Amino acid sequence: MNKVRKTEYRAVPVRETLIQMKDISELMLDLAYSAALFDNKELAEEVMELETKIDDLVYLLNMNLMLAARDREDAETMAGISKIGSLTNAISDAAADVAGIVLNDIGIHPVVREVFQRAEEHLARMVISENSILIGKTVEDLDLASEVGIDIIAIRRGKYWHINPDKEILMPGDSIVARGTGSGLHKLIQAANAEVKDFE
Amino acid sequence: MSELDIGHWERITNDLVTLKNTSEMMMDLAYSAVLLNSRYLADEVMLLEEQIDELYIGFQYEVLSKTKTATDPRDLLGLIRLGSVTERIADAASEIAEVVLRGIEPHPVLQMVIQDAEETVERAKVGEDSPLAGKTLRQAKIAEETGMWVLVIRRGDKWIRPRPNTTLKPGDVIIASGYSEGEEDFVQLLTGKSSSEN
Repeated sequence: MNKVRKTEYRAVPVRETLIQMKDISELMLDLAYSAALFDNKELAEEVMELETKIDDLVYLLNMNLMLAARDREDAETMAGISKIGSLTNAISDAAADVAGIVLNDIGIHPVVREVFQRAEEHLARMVISENSILIGKTVEDLDLASEVGIDIIAIRRGKYWHINPDKEILMPGDSIVARGTGSGLHKLIQAANAEVKDFE
Repeated sequence: MSELDIGHWERITNDLVTLKNTSEMMMDLAYSAVLLNSRYLADEVMLLEEQIDELYIGFQYEVLSKTKTATDPRDLLGLIRLGSVTERIADAASEIAEVVLRGIEPHPVLQMVIQDAEETVERAKVGEDSPLAGKTLRQAKIAEETGMWVLVIRRGDKWIRPRPNTTLKPGDVIIASGYSEGEEDFVQLLTGKSSSEN
């Protein structure tokens, strides 16, 4: 059972908080689908962890909206924004339900693998080998999103998962989960396996 | 597996692929609609919502009719859950779009700072003579040339999410956001004509 604790007020910018909530809920979905695809309980647990973060952010968002409302017109706007916050929470709940499929050992039919292979966004898992060109670079440096149309969504190093990494330096033995186009992932897998010297 | 059976799984797979792709695209478009305060994008989300509802019912029928054959019910439960997740995401996205359609007044709290240039959503069709027809988005360099960021591509009754290796075809409608100065360049680049000829 997760420990539920009070969320303390602090001033946060509304627009950034909304964007952050959107990013986290998208990440949760990717991780949850990865958990289902690779039948991986650790990834599913990461999703549950992020879910508590979203819950906190919803409270913070609403507190900030309440304090920002001074008159009727403000109230009209804030009600709409608050609704968007709750709906983002609903999306993260949906992601948590996918993680629940894995955590509760509900079957993942083989057809699911096929679905992920055909979807626009593919997911792949790979281990960085000794002579890979990825070693020593940060996720940010690689700029994979614009180079090959993919994102690294998680790195597992030893027992720990780094979720949504950017400044992490890639090391041999790191296990990474990436999302993106099939061709981009193919290139990344070749790079991780030290089969290529550069990306093109 | 009989041939009939393979066709059945094929439909289930196809439906789930479309549900997943569509729900994720709706989420992207719904947030863009909020951040750009664009009714046009919100309307697009509502159109997709109609499509996805029908698809979801079809998907559920297909999966439930599998119970007639010898399939582990636990496996089917996982599929039903995955389908339901995509449907809930689509619902949430369309409700977000609804908030935009009700009207959000630009408010300091959203920092929708309207400076010298206003950020807008623009759409244009790739013309037969456009230099972009047949190019991938990466080759097209739309953002570099015009400052407009591609949000989604409409091809007939399909919506396509922009990816670096998406190939543009004549007749594609490209929906993009950016500052209003870029609009003219954007339309010109796509249609292959200068705006005075239009």
